[in-house]
Amino acid sequence: MARDTRKLDGIRDRRSELENHYIDELVAGRISRRDFVRKGAVIGMSSSLMGVILAACGNANSSSSSSSAATTASTPKHGGTLRLAQQAPAAAVNPLTVADSGGLNMLAQTGEFLILDNNQLLTLQPMLATSWKASASGAVWTFTLRPGVKFHNGQTMTAKDVVYTFKQLSDPKVASNALSTFTGVLTPSGVVEVDSMTVAFHLEAPNGNFPYLVSSDNYNAIIVPDGTDFAKWQSTFIGTGPFTLKSYTQNVGASFLANPNYWGGKPYLDGTAFTFYTSQPPQILALQGGQVDGIVQFTAQGAQSLLGSSNYNIIKLKSANHRELSMRNDQAPFTDARVRQAVAYALNRPEMISALLGGDGELGNDSPFGPRFPSSNTSVPQRAQNLALAKQLLKAAGHANGFSAPLVTEQYQEIPALAQVIKADLAKVGITANLKIESQTDYYGKATYGNSDWLDSTMSLVDYGDRGVPNVYLEAPLTSNGPWNAARFKNKTYDSLVKQYVAAVDLSTQRTIAGKIETLLLAQTPIVIPYFIDGLTATTPSVHGVNPTSISAIYLNKAYMS
Amino acid sequence: MAIFILKRVGLALITLWILSVIVFFVGQVLPGDPGRAILGPLAAPSAVHALDQTLGTNRPVLTQYWSWISHFVRGDMGKSYSYQTAVAPLVIKALGNSLKLAAVAFVIVVPLGIFGGVWAALAAGKPRDRIISVVGLSSTVIPELVSGIVLILVFGIALNVLPISATAPPGASIPTQLDHLILPAIPLVLILFGYIEQMARAGTIEALNSDYARTAVLKGLPRRTLIRRHILRNSLLPTITVVATQVGYLIGGLVVVETLFRYQGIGSLIVTAANGKDFPMLEAGILVIGVAYMVATLVADILYSLLNPRIRYQAAE
Repeated sequence: MARDTRKLDGIRDRRSELENHYIDELVAGRISRRDFVRKGAVIGMSSSLMGVILAACGNANSSSSSSSAATTASTPKHGGTLRLAQQAPAAAVNPLTVADSGGLNMLAQTGEFLILDNNQLLTLQPMLATSWKASASGAVWTFTLRPGVKFHNGQTMTAKDVVYTFKQLSDPKVASNALSTFTGVLTPSGVVEVDSMTVAFHLEAPNGNFPYLVSSDNYNAIIVPDGTDFAKWQSTFIGTGPFTLKSYTQNVGASFLANPNYWGGKPYLDGTAFTFYTSQPPQILALQGGQVDGIVQFTAQGAQSLLGSSNYNIIKLKSANHRELSMRNDQAPFTDARVRQAVAYALNRPEMISALLGGDGELGNDSPFGPRFPSSNTSVPQRAQNLALAKQLLKAAGHANGFSAPLVTEQYQEIPALAQVIKADLAKVGITANLKIESQTDYYGKATYGNSDWLDSTMSLVDYGDRGVPNVYLEAPLTSNGPWNAARFKNKTYDSLVKQYVAAVDLSTQRTIAGKIETLLLAQTPIVIPYFIDGLTATTPSVHGVNPTSISAIYLNKAYMS
Repeated sequence: MAIFILKRVGLALITLWILSVIVFFVGQVLPGDPGRAILGPLAAPSAVHALDQTLGTNRPVLTQYWSWISHFVRGDMGKSYSYQTAVAPLVIKALGNSLKLAAVAFVIVVPLGIFGGVWAALAAGKPRDRIISVVGLSSTVIPELVSGIVLILVFGIALNVLPISATAPPGASIPTQLDHLILPAIPLVLILFGYIEQMARAGTIEALNSDYARTAVLKGLPRRTLIRRHILRNSLLPTITVVATQVGYLIGGLVVVETLFRYQGIGSLIVTAANGKDFPMLEAGILVIGVAYMVATLVADILYSLLNPRIRYQAAE
């Protein structure tokens, strides 16, 4: 199909340098239409604009959008209360301090973010911000807010509320869980009200993926009214979202009512009811027994009865949720990169995915660049099990007869089973892993060097939850000054590559640097990432239009029951 | 009798105080701190510090203990670190739930166990005795997790005759609430039946072999009267002790059943509190179980003394 050059030129005149860069990339065929939409969304191009550009470029390399449960063909029905099972929030539902899957889904029921990271489409969508753009360097990001949005108390949302929210979240003197994201990125003084509908973020360093950090990925960042007392938030749940609080009872459940004044239109459902559970088996039984209509998020282990049944709709999401095996680069025998590579070559990853995850996972290539991130460089070859090579590497490193080393890990989901599989695989090349499986409290300890089995053990196997961008995974566990560097990996080239990656605003640069990082990590192998775990949500077939995310929040504004 | 009860209450108060000290100081030895437990292992150290400051958990240990106990004795259980709400309503609600479940299990298992034990003893050594004893002992060793899941699968899902959640919808009538509690009570019945049956059986056999029983038989007392008036009364004594010592378990030890059947009882409350290093909730929960346990043993002692006059004389001395 022909390219409409004149129309394209007309659009280009009014676009920023960065936007034109992406148009160039698209025209040249260096990025797919899907990546264009993803990255265009990050830099704040509207979907209608991107539609016009894509149309002007012709349908040459069109890719169909993924089929998802969110886009069912039948006509939505109004009414009814949707009942869902979920993990009980571990602590108070305080937007500043929530740090667990149960709590963050509660925030997402009545609260909204500047941007929604739609995990089903793998793209950013406007939520409370209608558009956003970066300065040329990527150090200042400006967000235009959606007009006419009302909080549940009737107050209209303005820039003051957004500024208050982010000043609190980024304040090192406040007990904010979002500090793990904002430290080194944003300080309270960097949050600036430009006018009543515009907010600018002046970052500590250029950050090409900043929109992800104010999106639903950063689950603490729901916008609350200026002056909100966060500790008391759980008595009102005041946000701007499609549902308002009906009742919340610790450890028991929560129910919500449709918000008739919702800016996106009143939801189809009359209300929702969440039942809290502290473990997975009762949730599965409750779904099978018809006491709930769905489970917000579950893991494949122990859920065979759901996965193997045609009685349930399973929504599967690619996620960056992964397991990381670190080896102390400063402790023999792992001082030798060949020994670390031998460990990586000993593992049978496809078998792990089928045995531990019921097939619902993606191969890991010993770097955080998984299939969830558009910037991952897929041209770097995937590592596979090679026992002969592993033995050869061990021999070259002077360990022809193998060695034994402790492997410490935590009691969490499938991890103890994974540790057993790793032990069995390592035994095949003569390495004896002495397993120690601890409770999470013992394992993490104080989470600082010298006070944590997680960070101090010779080999340590830990979980990393899902994030929208790989920045935290690249920095904290792997850079020389990273706070969670359990491998004690110190590599100046790596540090500078990460710095470049984080600052890079355009996708092809990010992807080029990602390729270099992936290659470097394969050569050095400070850590092993065997797989990424898909996010799983189950509902009965009568439930439609639910939109879960891989961090285990679920959006129900378009949900209905037939 | 009044002095006996007073003495026991005084002892109980001292025991509870020692318990509160142990819980507090043992809690300090556990790794982690409340701020870290709330914000998770990956939270920024500054955020953890700020939260500990707000909660007051970075004060000296003795100051924290004093501030807690001085409020507690005035009836203020304090505020939960994790949930940021008053502890008292949470604990009272959980205790109410635990008592309800325990009561249902008790009402089923105590008569069943005593009847089974006496019935088995009357046929001591015969097949009936063997069957009851083997069944009783085997059911005692079935973990609640196993029996609970089997029950849910059979009655909750395959037959779909009983609700699988112990929590009835809010505002449910008493019959509905009972309906929800039957399934979770069965694993407890299975575990306790063996204990009670064995004690009742042993007590009955001992009573049957006693001189007074032989005398009663020889003087021509009908068998039924003999059992009711002489045997039962004596065989029940050890059974009461066993039942009383199980109260602590029935109220505070049902974590597995509470988790499986999604029931907010005091057992799961304590586990949650311990995991979160939520000291005010942990103390309140454990002390509540302590009180329940002491009340149960006190009631057992009083019952015991009513059935056995010898105890009364000793207490009065």
